[in-house]
Amino acid sequence: MKEPVGVAVRRTCAVGSYAVVELDGDLEVGPPGTFAMVRDPTGAAFLPRPVGLFRRPDGTPAFLVDPAHGVGALAGAATLEVLTPLGRGFDLTGADAATTLIVGGGIGATVFFGLPAALGAPVRVVAGFREDRQAPALDLIEPAASRAVAIAPQLVTDLVDLTGVELVLASGPAPMVRAVAALAAAAGVPCQVALEAPMACGFGACYGCAVELDGTWQRLCIEGPVVAAERLA
Amino acid sequence: MTELGGLRLEHPVLNASGTLDALAAHAVLGDATLGCAAHVTKTITPEPRAGNAAPRIAEVPGGMINSIGLPGPGLVRFCSEVLPATAAVVDVPIVVSVGGFSHDDYVAQAERLDAEPHVAALELNLSCPNVKSGCISIGTDRRETEAVTEQVRARTSKPLLVKLSPSVADVAELARAAEAGGADALTLTKTARGMVLNRWTGTPLLGAGTGGVSGPALRPQALAAVATARAAVAIAIVGLGGIETADDARDYLAAGATAVAVGTAIFRDPRAPRRVRDGLSGI
Repeated sequence: MKEPVGVAVRRTCAVGSYAVVELDGDLEVGPPGTFAMVRDPTGAAFLPRPVGLFRRPDGTPAFLVDPAHGVGALAGAATLEVLTPLGRGFDLTGADAATTLIVGGGIGATVFFGLPAALGAPVRVVAGFREDRQAPALDLIEPAASRAVAIAPQLVTDLVDLTGVELVLASGPAPMVRAVAALAAAAGVPCQVALEAPMACGFGACYGCAVELDGTWQRLCIEGPVVAAERLA
Repeated sequence: MTELGGLRLEHPVLNASGTLDALAAHAVLGDATLGCAAHVTKTITPEPRAGNAAPRIAEVPGGMINSIGLPGPGLVRFCSEVLPATAAVVDVPIVVSVGGFSHDDYVAQAERLDAEPHVAALELNLSCPNVKSGCISIGTDRRETEAVTEQVRARTSKPLLVKLSPSVADVAELARAAEAGGADALTLTKTARGMVLNRWTGTPLLGAGTGGVSGPALRPQALAAVATARAAVAIAIVGLGGIETADDARDYLAAGATAVAVGTAIFRDPRAPRRVRDGLSGI
């Protein structure tokens, strides 16, 4: 049985206004777009939280949190219980880094950190953040071939140029990924989106993470978090 | 061995309905039942249902609140697809939770499920607080509860559990009604009706407005319901509400439960049912 693994928090370091929580132990890190459920067994939060695990350059498993918001409490934990890997990530079959555009927003950029390694080449990134002190999170997408950053109120979609792009990978708040999906659809470019939803379990038990896909409510933990953009209702 | 209203179980720990999808758990975790002695399905309804609009869950102090809204494939596809697939990965008795919006819904489903060899027992969900047009009116009324139990009893020879809500004026009265209607066991209790607000807007956070509170926050209320029902009826009781550890389960057994169910704790940690089972058996 796949079960939660108890790991110690090695250290927490600031990346702009976000925090990277580095973990000890031999955790399985799923492909980009998959997720893990993380819980502080001594913390105040009752439920685990979904996070995107990635590997630091030295191989250390880690995840990004915003200390100012809900999941951020995990940054202060000494040990964590981690259920990983979960969900479906990006389908990178036949994807070429040179013709793939990554479009993300806020903490959603976390699902991109493993993409350069998965694609075997530097990636092109367009990202949007509420505040400029969040933008250093993009340094975790390493190596990046090009970067463009929109800080609110500028829209990330203002910076998206799909010339020569054959695949769009998007992640972030729902309105943003929908806007990106619409741009890709208008240009006839295939697009995959990583969605977010409140989750209690991560393994299809609670039905809490419902999102509208194919015109009906479906569990994001089972169907996604990455889905083909055309499935958005 | 635990004897639960005609159901013979290896040990006294079940899952609560709606907290474990055997097929998903098998696919994702490689374990369909998480060590439970019987598998209780998510509530099925006569017709397919999409469930409530998001958001469906939120954390509350000591637990969570949900308004899932009984999404499901409907009875026909449940019997033709979900049940056989579930039986292929579940090696313990399958208890099918049945929900509905009228007496006829319960009776028709019970009749159909009585013919299914994979179904070991039925549990009537008379208490789902989330479906606006639905079952709360049956589960909160003594006469309705007795009548629907009696009608289902007449259509099935399988062990019949009746699940009751804690959000009622008199649990004892409803427990007696279910017993009088022919229930073999009671399941006590279900989520308690609650609400959380978006503090920025002052409007309900959940898509459906209100929801059901579960987790340790529910435990004292559920334990009282079990003790109250124990004093009122002779039939077996499955106790649940915020059970996380074997000690929690022992409280329910001491209050008169025959068996216990682990629910929301599964979301926190899928090892929870085994932890409770092993703790109870002294492992």
